[in-house]
Amino acid sequence: MLHGEGDVKMKSTQYSKKVLDHFRNPRNVGTLEGDDVAVGKVGNPICGDLMEVFIKVKDDRIVDAKFMTFGCGSAIATSSMTTELVKGMTLEQAMEVTREDVASELEGLPPIKMHCSNLAADALHEAIKRYRARMTGEVIPGEETQAGGAECAIGKENYLGKGVYLSVTNPEDFKEKRVLVVHTGDKSLETAIELSKHTGRVVLLTPDAQIRTNTKLKEDLEASGIKILYESKLLEIRGQDEVEKVLVHNLNEDEKYDLFVDAVVLID
Amino acid sequence: MVLDKEAMFAMREVYLDYQSAKPVDPRVIEEMMPYFHDLFGNPSSLHKVGDVATDALEQSRKRIAKFINADDDEILFTSGATESSNMALIGYALKNKKKGNHIVISEVEHISIHNIAKYLVSLGFEVSTVPVDQFGRVRVEKLERRLTDKTILISVGYASNEIGTVQPIAEIGKLAKERNIAFHTDAVAAEGLIDLDVERDNIDLMSLSSNDIYGPKGVGVLYMKKGYRINPLIIGGGQERGLRSGTENMPGIVGMSAAADIMAKEMPSEVERFRGYRDKAITHILEDVPDSHLNGHPTERLASNAHFRFDGIEGEGMLLSLKDLGVSVSTGSACTSKTLEPSHTLIATGLVHEEAHGSLQLSFGRFNIDSDVDRAIETIPQIVARLRGLSPIYVARRR
Repeated sequence: MLHGEGDVKMKSTQYSKKVLDHFRNPRNVGTLEGDDVAVGKVGNPICGDLMEVFIKVKDDRIVDAKFMTFGCGSAIATSSMTTELVKGMTLEQAMEVTREDVASELEGLPPIKMHCSNLAADALHEAIKRYRARMTGEVIPGEETQAGGAECAIGKENYLGKGVYLSVTNPEDFKEKRVLVVHTGDKSLETAIELSKHTGRVVLLTPDAQIRTNTKLKEDLEASGIKILYESKLLEIRGQDEVEKVLVHNLNEDEKYDLFVDAVVLID
Repeated sequence: MVLDKEAMFAMREVYLDYQSAKPVDPRVIEEMMPYFHDLFGNPSSLHKVGDVATDALEQSRKRIAKFINADDDEILFTSGATESSNMALIGYALKNKKKGNHIVISEVEHISIHNIAKYLVSLGFEVSTVPVDQFGRVRVEKLERRLTDKTILISVGYASNEIGTVQPIAEIGKLAKERNIAFHTDAVAAEGLIDLDVERDNIDLMSLSSNDIYGPKGVGVLYMKKGYRINPLIIGGGQERGLRSGTENMPGIVGMSAAADIMAKEMPSEVERFRGYRDKAITHILEDVPDSHLNGHPTERLASNAHFRFDGIEGEGMLLSLKDLGVSVSTGSACTSKTLEPSHTLIATGLVHEEAHGSLQLSFGRFNIDSDVDRAIETIPQIVARLRGLSPIYVARRR
């Protein structure tokens, strides 16, 4: 037999016993609240990882730490280990904890996972910075993004009547189509909700971190199954003869990617 | 039900990843065995030992030809479907470059076809990629609009090895014939699940793999219709009509033909059984797991394929958790791929990355038993619930 030597280190999912233990039984899952709590958020669901590390601080010392993580096995394990490591540390000590420290406490990570999913130390540092900033009354930018329409999307004019709609008069035309609706106000939300009754795939693109509208529309939106892409802008419409895909800019991560759609609705 | 881990470990290992690899059928192994030692000859030799090998080679060719409704001399043995596709695309493009330099493929091709196409672009060919609809299906009218008077070849896979969507192959074949363009299909995902008929579907070139019909790995076939010509990629002693040199892999070739023979007999009942597993898995999981979705086509899909997407979680975590419970599955998540990119097929259906990350693929096969699908139905909802409990995205949505 050629197997059984455990020599599959190159595989991205070949984890140490300790990583698997923290993945199976993660420590400190949850959130914390209060004046003495700060949260650090890193990653992006687009890349497959999003982590929130919460720290509770007393006399400059971390008395409790919790986390929530969307991500692969090592993302969950590193979050768990980081929160374990820093409990009891002073803020200064905790600032010194590196990704490498977390990885070595876990008896190593597959090389390919060292950077993409080992972000918990960064989330911790972010939380500490936010805590310190609050104590000194400093304002940390980056929480809110500015609203803005999609007026400047390249290709908008070229695809009028070929998949780009400035208004929707006949929602039945969108049956089984993948529709991208750009959030330009309540009218666009109403249109998106109406369209979701005719097709299973409506994506709503908004430059904001959350949708601000009235309670009724908010509830309808939630119930509609519409996929909302926050903090995102439409850069370009592409396709041969008709709309086939769009280029989306994720403002939060400053990342651009293709999204395949059949129609784009831009309501002024 | 509460999972008792110890008890689970003692249970049968449940393999639900037949689209990645299949065990060789023991009946196939039995037919192969003599060709390792007793009947070891080289078909090129002119003595009695060589004649026995030649006979086995040609009988094997006949069996494969029958399996896809082709003629014997339209079958070329290769080292697998990847090599077959290299011959079909690169070999055909090089041989026919005087006719034109344009090739059309779809967005949901197997990664091997995408990479071959990239190579052809580096050689100066032009490649157009046709988008698919939300179910991963090529729209023939859209494909037609991509064709030019320079188009020499269309390559569209018979079915997706990921999401299981079956393409309108007969319609594409008809279109290619009308426009006098060669039509290649990588049929690996459809082998053993759909009755392959190159005449009916107007297929000119087709890639097949042995392992996908429960034959040994390392063997495949390129079907090439009479009158079509390719440049060889492997030059040597002139085997396979000079189109694929190298001493024939006789045990493998015999194994593949034996597998095709068994498949031809057992496919109808087998497909019925898989369809039962598939539909049971789809019904239960969509019902039992909130915010879950089916990827791929609701009806035009392989009988053995169930492909899900769960909001707010990541595929690798599901895969690892199922591994702990003795269940083997696949995911389209980037975190398990070599490039850390999510599945291009899922992206082509219109999903954004975070959705593609939360996908899980079950594929059933010959050696599954009824209780295997039950294990999947029991374990998946609990695993999804546990991982969602950790996920900031899912919790935010619930708030």
